[in-house]
Amino acid sequence: MISTQLLSLLGEVQTPLANAANTAMAQGGGSMNRTLLLMIAIFAPLTTGLITLFYPRKLITPRVLTALAGTVVSFLILLSFDVQPTDAPTGPIASIDWMPILNLNFAFLTDGLGLFFALLVSGIGALIVLYARGYFGRNEDDLYRFYPTLGFFTTAMIGVVLADYMLLTLLFWELTSISSFLLIGWDRYDKHAVKLGMQAFVTTGMGGMGLFGGILLFGSTTDVWTWTNFIHWLPENTQLLTDINNPVFWSFILLFFGAATKSAQFPWQYWLPGAMAAPTPVSAFLHSATMVKAGVFLIGRLLPVFGGLLVVTNGEAVFRAGLDIWPWLITIIGGFTMVLGALLSINQHDLKRIFAYTTVSQLGLLVCMYGLGSFSYTYDGQLFQNLDYDITQIANHAFYKAPLFIIAGALGHVLSRDITDLNGAIKKHPAMCITLILAAYGLAAGPGTISFQAKELFLYAIYHLKYTPVGNWWMLLMGAAIITATCNVAIFLRLTTTLIGLPGGYTADPNKHETDHHHHEHEHTVMGKIWASMIWVPAAVLVSFQYVGGFSPSTWMHFFGPLESYNNYFAVEYHGIPTFWYAIASGISHGSVPLMCSGIAILCGIILGFSPIFRGVVTDICDKIYPSIYWLAVTGGGRAFRTIQTGNMRHYTLLVLSFFLIMFYLITYNDTNMINSALEQFAFITEFKPGLFLGIIICATSLALPLVSHRIIRILLLGSCGFTVVAMYLVYQAPDLALTQLTFEIISVVLFVLVIRLLPRDVPKSRPSPLWRIPVAALAGIAFGWMTLVAVGEDPLTKIGAYFPMNTYAAGLEDVYNLGRGGGGMNIVNVILVDFRGFDTLGEITVLSLAALGVWSLLPSRRSRKSA
Amino acid sequence: MTSLILKTAMRLIVPLAMLFAAYMALKGHNEPGGGFIGGLIASVSLALYRMTYGVDSFDKLFPIHPRILVFVGLTCAVLTAIFPLLLGRPLLTSYEHYLNLGFGQSVHFVTAAIFDIGVLLVVVGVSVGMIDRLSREVEKS
Repeated sequence: MISTQLLSLLGEVQTPLANAANTAMAQGGGSMNRTLLLMIAIFAPLTTGLITLFYPRKLITPRVLTALAGTVVSFLILLSFDVQPTDAPTGPIASIDWMPILNLNFAFLTDGLGLFFALLVSGIGALIVLYARGYFGRNEDDLYRFYPTLGFFTTAMIGVVLADYMLLTLLFWELTSISSFLLIGWDRYDKHAVKLGMQAFVTTGMGGMGLFGGILLFGSTTDVWTWTNFIHWLPENTQLLTDINNPVFWSFILLFFGAATKSAQFPWQYWLPGAMAAPTPVSAFLHSATMVKAGVFLIGRLLPVFGGLLVVTNGEAVFRAGLDIWPWLITIIGGFTMVLGALLSINQHDLKRIFAYTTVSQLGLLVCMYGLGSFSYTYDGQLFQNLDYDITQIANHAFYKAPLFIIAGALGHVLSRDITDLNGAIKKHPAMCITLILAAYGLAAGPGTISFQAKELFLYAIYHLKYTPVGNWWMLLMGAAIITATCNVAIFLRLTTTLIGLPGGYTADPNKHETDHHHHEHEHTVMGKIWASMIWVPAAVLVSFQYVGGFSPSTWMHFFGPLESYNNYFAVEYHGIPTFWYAIASGISHGSVPLMCSGIAILCGIILGFSPIFRGVVTDICDKIYPSIYWLAVTGGGRAFRTIQTGNMRHYTLLVLSFFLIMFYLITYNDTNMINSALEQFAFITEFKPGLFLGIIICATSLALPLVSHRIIRILLLGSCGFTVVAMYLVYQAPDLALTQLTFEIISVVLFVLVIRLLPRDVPKSRPSPLWRIPVAALAGIAFGWMTLVAVGEDPLTKIGAYFPMNTYAAGLEDVYNLGRGGGGMNIVNVILVDFRGFDTLGEITVLSLAALGVWSLLPSRRSRKSA
Repeated sequence: MTSLILKTAMRLIVPLAMLFAAYMALKGHNEPGGGFIGGLIASVSLALYRMTYGVDSFDKLFPIHPRILVFVGLTCAVLTAIFPLLLGRPLLTSYEHYLNLGFGQSVHFVTAAIFDIGVLLVVVGVSVGMIDRLSREVEKS
């Protein structure tokens, strides 16, 4: 039986395989193999990470190598893919069905943007695996726990950037939130770190909810659920994109909210420096290449539709504009974050915090750059989109920020992470310090690094705003860019002078506090030295890309150029990135404004770097946002709970009944049928004399209840109520119910008596119960009775009640054995219980079992103690 | 609770009540009865027995912990519920079968009866378990 199930499953897989063959793409990857291969690439880091869990704790080297294999396999697989052209609206390639009805399947989009990010994540991930070995040393416990978590995070991140179905992106997006929470709160015994991990999780998780809402809103409005279709989605009328009342507009706002929280845009930038509580391998990974770039990635994905895109149709370039709000919202928030991050970063002493705030600043720059991308300008009779080399911008940041973090962690290991303690550190640790200076030179966007060209391109994009409706406001943004660049140059200068021990650097603060100084084990074997050097070698590898790109842009373009073709709408020939001397020489000869601004920034940076101002430590005011919200939720929530949850049973009952009465009143008020149908029933009141008689007994016993104070008598009165109901069942010919009720009453009375005997003695009440409880109780009783009357008054054949007798013994009592319809029984009550409403019964017995389990666990049995 | 008359009567009543409970549970599908009622009847008789004879005799009559009954009953019910899923039918689908006894007689059997037995076991386990547990507590104090 199971094998048939398997066969049918296989059959289902084969069908899309055949479909995929039809839609095979020119790149030759359009088959099911392609999707499966990409799934391997995505899940390899997680799988190898989990495999390391099964190794004995002592085996460190195999553990590292296995974890490394996962990311390397993933990287190599991704390297074998060509950039998928997205110029033809094909829909997702070769999707493996998961939940088609929810528009959630496995299909992957390997366009330039996605492939670039995936390569970046897996490539840097591999180096981080090595670095973690150097950082944690031979600490078995940390390594045991670290690699699976890191693999989990890497998988989630590659999934985000490759997923074609938007909801799949969301799924991986949330996984990055969860795994980064685990990584940031790494030190479980450090309450502060756990709190900061929580802060990052709540903030980015909130953004994830925004993303979820945005995807659902957009998908349900336009029926576009994949990024492939999204890129080709065009509103039927462009009104859609400008109308503020349109759901598409709000879906964009929600999506941007998700991106902004993840990418630490103002005012949500507080979580990123807070996340520095994580061990440095995590910081280097999360804050250079991956986690925080997810938001930038998302904005890049949204750009072609919501931002704007240069479309080439029949050889003619047309700029397709997007939402009006895009440039304003994104550019302003990004630009502000950029300046804020830069100003905060220069006023820090902890290396990791300095680099964290420069990350915030750079993320602002990247977001701002995408904002500029929604403008176009004409130059030399040709139309251009005001966005060049966005991938170079992103890559350049990763190639200097990851080394900066790596070395910051390494220095924190051997010396200190406080810059004031690092004066003259180059003598003790030359390799680390030189790598740090080289990477910081990239931060300063000095000529010779790819960072320089990237910054020039950004400045050009700002300058080109002059030719757009923005007009002269470009100077405002240019000013912001100059301030940012100034701060970066100053940070580089101060770092360099401090490390070398030159004048202008920081010197030790006499009343400094102890920063986190990890115990560092020195390894003396040759192999040990190789592993120990892993604490700085990955940084050197990464930083070398900066200089390759700087001195030989053609080599850089050879690798990154193909990824730049955002999609094949670009028919513009690539003129490539200029070498830095060409950029400078031609800039000077043309009197280029951006180059001039760049020069001003370097000059200001040198002055600021040596000046005594901005040398203190400031705290970002936004750091207070999360704690204050947390305080409000906890304290305010506590107060609210204490008001509502009094712990008084009578109070709860009163609340429930009053609410019920209000509901009942509202329903009868609006529905006259509720009154009339019940009144009709009153006409038959004389036909039910025995019932009436029994009902009076029930009422009398319940009225007597409040008059007696002894508990046992109350229980017996309740029991007598129940037994009268049994009589009622007997009179109206329901033997099943009568029998059940009878036995049930016996058991419940016995149970009640037993429980009451265990309760503490009933203390006489000091004051009498308020009288107004009586009307509430009476009204509630009447309302329940009324509802029963209404329910009975309805025509039974129009109700589901009719279904039961029809299907229990529809063909007549004598035929049921022959026909065997429905439940196949003649006792309708039992057939309902075990067949029609069997699921209810299943739930009921489960609840019953749980109640019994409660009794057994609250009162541990002597019998079990004896046997144990 | 130790009157001779009650004790003697209980010796007769308990087996009869058990028989009656089983009868109720089995014929429940076509005539008044069912697993729930059967379980309650069995519980009442067991509780009465416990009151009459005390804890030691009850432990002899009922040597297992009642939670085992709950476990077996719930497992029975859940398995019956999900069995149709394996055959591609909806949850809790009832299958009918006629066991031929010869002489033109047959027994009408539905799979829902197994479910009903599960209900019976859970009810017995829960109510006897609770009464027993609480009684012990009362006797201790």
